[in-house]
Amino acid sequence: MLLAIPPLQAETLFNIGPLPITNSYVNTTLATIVFIVVAFFVQRGIKKYYTKNVAPKGFLNFLEALVEYMFGYLDQVTADRKKSLKFLPFIGGFFFFILFANWLGLMPGTGSIYMWGMHHGEVHMLPVFRPSNTDLNMTLAMAVLAVATSHLFGIAAIGFFRYLNKFIKLGDLYKAIISFNPVKILTAIVEFFVGIIEIFSEVAKMVSLSLRLYGNVFAGEVLLTVLAGLVAVFVPLPFIALEILVGLIQATVFSMLTLVYFNMATMEHGGHDSDHEHVETSKEEPVRTPTI
Amino acid sequence: MLDFIQVAHAATEAAAVEAETGVLGTLGINWKLFLAQLLNFGVVLFVLNRYVFTPVGKKLEERRLKIEKALQDAEDIEKEKQEFEKWKSEAVAAANKKASEIVTLAQNEASKEKSEALLKTKQEQEQVVRQAKSKIEEEKKKSVQEAKGEIAGMVTTATEKILKEKITDKKDKELIEKTVKAITE
Repeated sequence: MLLAIPPLQAETLFNIGPLPITNSYVNTTLATIVFIVVAFFVQRGIKKYYTKNVAPKGFLNFLEALVEYMFGYLDQVTADRKKSLKFLPFIGGFFFFILFANWLGLMPGTGSIYMWGMHHGEVHMLPVFRPSNTDLNMTLAMAVLAVATSHLFGIAAIGFFRYLNKFIKLGDLYKAIISFNPVKILTAIVEFFVGIIEIFSEVAKMVSLSLRLYGNVFAGEVLLTVLAGLVAVFVPLPFIALEILVGLIQATVFSMLTLVYFNMATMEHGGHDSDHEHVETSKEEPVRTPTI
Repeated sequence: MLDFIQVAHAATEAAAVEAETGVLGTLGINWKLFLAQLLNFGVVLFVLNRYVFTPVGKKLEERRLKIEKALQDAEDIEKEKQEFEKWKSEAVAAANKKASEIVTLAQNEASKEKSEALLKTKQEQEQVVRQAKSKIEEEKKKSVQEAKGEIAGMVTTATEKILKEKITDKKDKELIEKTVKAITE
C-alpha cells in the first residue's frame, strides 16, 4: 500500500484488560509522562528558589516568563487578576498539553514506526505512534473537561441556584409574573426558552471544541502522510512548518475559547433589572463573538 | 469504471458501518478509551495545576504586588521628602526672619538704653556742677561776710589808733596809704 492514509479512528494496538490501547493513547501517555517529569523538575526548582526567596534561574525562569505572558492574555479577557490567577492552571494546562501533543505528533517516527496488530479482525501493520489529538476520544475528553470546569467555576462564582437560573430561568419568570407587567412577562417567557437553548449551546461548545481540534490535527496528519508518500524528502518540509504553526494555533484557539467560556460562566448575567441588563449585554457582546 | 464501482462499494460499506455503530462509532468514540484519555489528561491537568501553575502564578502575583508596593512606597517617600524639604526651607526662612527681628530689636533697645544712660549721666553731671557752684557761691558769700566783718573791725581799730596819735599831713598821708595797703592786703 503506497498511500497508507491514517483512518479516522485511532487503531487499537493491543488490549490491557478491557481497555483498548490505541496508538493515539500511546502518544497521550507519553505526553502525560513528560508533563509529570517536567512538573517534578519545576517542583524541585520551586523548592530550591522560592523557599529561599532567590531569583529563579534556568527553566523556572523561562516558565515564569511564559506564565507572565499568559497573565497578560488572561487579564485581557477577565480584566481581573484574581480571576486570572484562578483560571491560569486550567488554561495553561490545556494550552501546553495540546501544544506539546501536537508537536509530539510531528516528531519523526509518528506514523512511520509500525507493529503487527489486529485491526477489524485482520492482522495489519499498525503505526505505533499517532498524534494524540487525532483521536476524538482525546479531544472530546478535553472539551468535556473544559466545559464541565467552566460550569464548576460558574457555580463557585455566583452560587448554584443563580447559576442554574442562567439556563432554567424559573426565577426570572416568577419575578416577571409577580410584577404583573405583561411586557416583562412576555420577555421572561422568551428568555426562558432562550435559557433552554443555552443548554444545547453547552453541548455545541463541547462538540465544536473537540471536532475543531480533531479535524485540524487529523487533516494535518493526513496531509503529511500523503506528501511523505508522494515525495519523501524536502517537499513535506514547508508543510511540517505549517503543521507546527497549526499546532500552536489550535492550542491557542482551544485554550482561548476555554478561557472565554470560563469567563462567561463566572460573569453575573443581568436580567434582574432591565436597565442593568442593557449595560451588561453590551459589554458582553465582544466576548461572545469569537468562534473560530 | 472499476474504480468507480469500488468507491461506490466502499461508500456503501462505510454507510453500513455507520449504521452499525452510529456517527460516534465512525469517529472512533469508545467510552472506555474516552474515560482513559480523560484520566490521562486529568492527571496532566492536576499535576500542572498543583505543582506548576498555581505556585508559579502565586509567586508571580506576590512578586508583582511586592514591586507595586515598593514603587508606591518609593513615591510616598519622595513626596514626604519634598514636603520635608519645603517645610525645612520655610522653617529656616522663618527662623532667619525671627533672628534678624530679634537682633534689630536688641539693637534698638541697646541704643535706646545707651542714649538714656548718657542723658542721665549728663543730668547728674549738671546737677553736681550746679551743686558745686551753689556751694562755692555760698562759701564766697560767707567769706566775704566774714572779711567784711574783719575789715570793719580793723578799720575801727585803725581809726582808733589814728585818732589817738597826732595827726599831721604827712602822717595823714602815711596813714591813708597804710590803711589802704592793709585793706588791700
